[in-house]
Amino acid sequence: MKPKVLLDKVSLWSATAVVSVALMLSIAPTNVKAELKVPTEITELGKDTYKKYCSPCHGEEGGGNGPLARSMLPKPRDFTRGAYKFRTTPSGSLPTDEDIYRTISFGVPNSTMIPWDILTEEQRLSVIPVLKSFSEAFEFRKPDPPVEVGLRVRPTEKCIAQGKKIYEEKLECWKCHGIEGRGDGPSAAEQEDDFGFPIKPFDFTTGKFKGGNSPQDVYLRFTTGLNGTPMPSFAKELTDEERWCLTYYVMSLIKPEDDNHK
Amino acid sequence: MKKLGIGLCLSAMLFTSVVWAAEPPPKKETPPDLYEGTPDWYRAVYKDNVGLSEGSGPFKDYFKPQMLDMYWQPNRHYEPMKNLDHSIFIEKERRDLCVTCHEEATPGVVRDWRSSGHKNPKSTAYLSGKTAEIEKRTGRILDEVHCFDCHADTKKKQIRMPTGEVCGECHRPQFDDFLREREVGRPNHIQSWEANTIVPWYAEAARRGYLYGQHGCDLCHSGAEKCDVCHTRHKFSAAEGRQPEACITCHMGPDHPDAESYGESKHGVIYHKEEEHFDFTRPLSEVRPGKDYRTPTCQFCHMYEKHGRFIHNPVMKGIWRMGTVPPKNLEYTSSLKDYPYGIKIIADKIDIYSEENIAKRSYWLEVCAKCHSDRFADTYLKSLDEFMFQAHKLADQAQKVVEDLIADGYLYPSAADRDPYPLSDGIEKMLSPAFLGEPIYNAFKTLKGKFPVVGPILGVYGMFLQQQDNPSNIENMYNRLWFWYKLQGYKGTAHAQQDVSWWWGQAPMMMEFTKIQSEAVRLRREGRIEKVSLTK
Repeated sequence: MKPKVLLDKVSLWSATAVVSVALMLSIAPTNVKAELKVPTEITELGKDTYKKYCSPCHGEEGGGNGPLARSMLPKPRDFTRGAYKFRTTPSGSLPTDEDIYRTISFGVPNSTMIPWDILTEEQRLSVIPVLKSFSEAFEFRKPDPPVEVGLRVRPTEKCIAQGKKIYEEKLECWKCHGIEGRGDGPSAAEQEDDFGFPIKPFDFTTGKFKGGNSPQDVYLRFTTGLNGTPMPSFAKELTDEERWCLTYYVMSLIKPEDDNHK
Repeated sequence: MKKLGIGLCLSAMLFTSVVWAAEPPPKKETPPDLYEGTPDWYRAVYKDNVGLSEGSGPFKDYFKPQMLDMYWQPNRHYEPMKNLDHSIFIEKERRDLCVTCHEEATPGVVRDWRSSGHKNPKSTAYLSGKTAEIEKRTGRILDEVHCFDCHADTKKKQIRMPTGEVCGECHRPQFDDFLREREVGRPNHIQSWEANTIVPWYAEAARRGYLYGQHGCDLCHSGAEKCDVCHTRHKFSAAEGRQPEACITCHMGPDHPDAESYGESKHGVIYHKEEEHFDFTRPLSEVRPGKDYRTPTCQFCHMYEKHGRFIHNPVMKGIWRMGTVPPKNLEYTSSLKDYPYGIKIIADKIDIYSEENIAKRSYWLEVCAKCHSDRFADTYLKSLDEFMFQAHKLADQAQKVVEDLIADGYLYPSAADRDPYPLSDGIEKMLSPAFLGEPIYNAFKTLKGKFPVVGPILGVYGMFLQQQDNPSNIENMYNRLWFWYKLQGYKGTAHAQQDVSWWWGQAPMMMEFTKIQSEAVRLRREGRIEKVSLTK
């Protein structure tokens, strides 16, 4: 091989590597900054911020019953049970502070929970102790350590096909989420959350994943489950690889241009 | 010579460039103001925001508004929501968050907006042209008109309920056209809130605990400030505003059965049979009768101004003014001769043949002539005039019967023995001789409302309020005759609906007149019997 060709090859590969790393970083899970300074005690700022911006929906006592909650669907989260949907911790565990901060900052798509990045980082952090104060669970327990994210596999055709098989046969996800992933399966109408409200299975075609849009976010939902909802964790039923494949399969159901979303 | 030529050319160029530069900059428009030209006292009671703390109009201190009035009359009564402070979104102009939240909180609103011209103001050639005009006038680039543009009060950092003034910032020609409703006076849309609250019975009813009974009044009479009365939220479609259905939620019922009379007329029936062939996307001025519309719509006739021009309000050509105001062109036997209760909240007596009204008639004929011969249309309008003269004459005779009964002392119970005229104390305090006419004002001052008020316009109170023995049966019979049946006959005749003209109009007018005569005879007889028995 001529040196020039070799050089070209090297530069091509290094460029590919750089791009891949950049790509990986850019689509990397919605990591929150490592060193978050969450106040350990409730502060005046936290109280004020909660009262002004959170309590209209979540209620002054965190019961999910603020004055605006009445006409809302889905209903705002009731914090008194300590059941948080979007976590990095195992099923049934309390969330980490970072988990709570993440939901506040990124919001919950398909709901009235907007991304509260309009508030300063300090304000957002200040409400975390306030939210935790609404549930006794935080006094007696600590969140379990975040689940381990297994080695990521590539979204090959084979993997996606495997995901489809899990979706349609092994776990029968379609019973709630529908064959096309529109959240309209035969059991969809019967689903209720732990608070007694009807809950609509997620419509994958919208592409607006509530816990974040990166593959890792979706993978985490299958691994941790959504506390307080009928959506369980499949950490035991599925291997890491299977959960990645299921992730890629449900992400292949996204139809952003679908008229239903407009 | 050559040099001279160049010099001339140069100086010509210089001159033109000077002229070019000297062209005055475009005139700065004053901000749209729905109350332009009204006196200070008027603005103070109709425009200045007081939230829900006091009412509107001269009798504002006698009642508090209905809660919903903050939406119907936002300039005066709107109060921003207290549950969630939106100021942070306005301060930081986070337009994206309006949609993110409201897409879930009120999805219908967001979808409406997405399909509107506001979301995509350049989506069609026609819209692009219109948008370019607005961009030129306002000096703004308009690729999207967003929630924020209409709902954010950036000065107060509050959410606002947009009034026509907000719409008028971009839609100025339409706004200015609408403002011209004031020129022709009431009845019109722009003063409909005034009509609602300036009448003394509104505040009196509130005072007596019937405020929310007037819900129906407020819903229609809220057309004064808001464009969504015709172009519903949040599509604000011009095409929708051109359809007859845009009018009928208010224009129906006993006092102006427009929906019924137009709807069941040949015009309306053809419209309903063939509505899918009507092209409402065309501006009225471009509608080709017989092709785009096979029959006229409310808008096509009433918004035609003159000489092929349309105007963005439907009241400019009105001659009979809803049919309530007596024409000058009749000999009256009753007090209608002096029209004493026609206080100045509504037009003076109408001269049907004034120069202005004769001109208006020719504008009507211009519309009719799109499909009818001039002679047919003229004959039709003359027949309408004759119908109205007869109807007003009938009303005059009936009013005379009631007034004679009162003059002879047979009204029972007499005005002295019953509740006074609604809000008489307020009328005396808040209204002036100039407003009511000297004699009527003095009557309120000296008799404190203990006198009978019969006929247009103030006499209609009996249809809006119940007080102890006031009005009596015969007075309300007369109200039905002139305010319902006469007006129904008017609409039936004007809109060419035979059944409404006769069975809702002329026939009940005559039956009511007979009832009034009969009631008068009975009251006189009883009065006489009472006198004889008392003297024995």
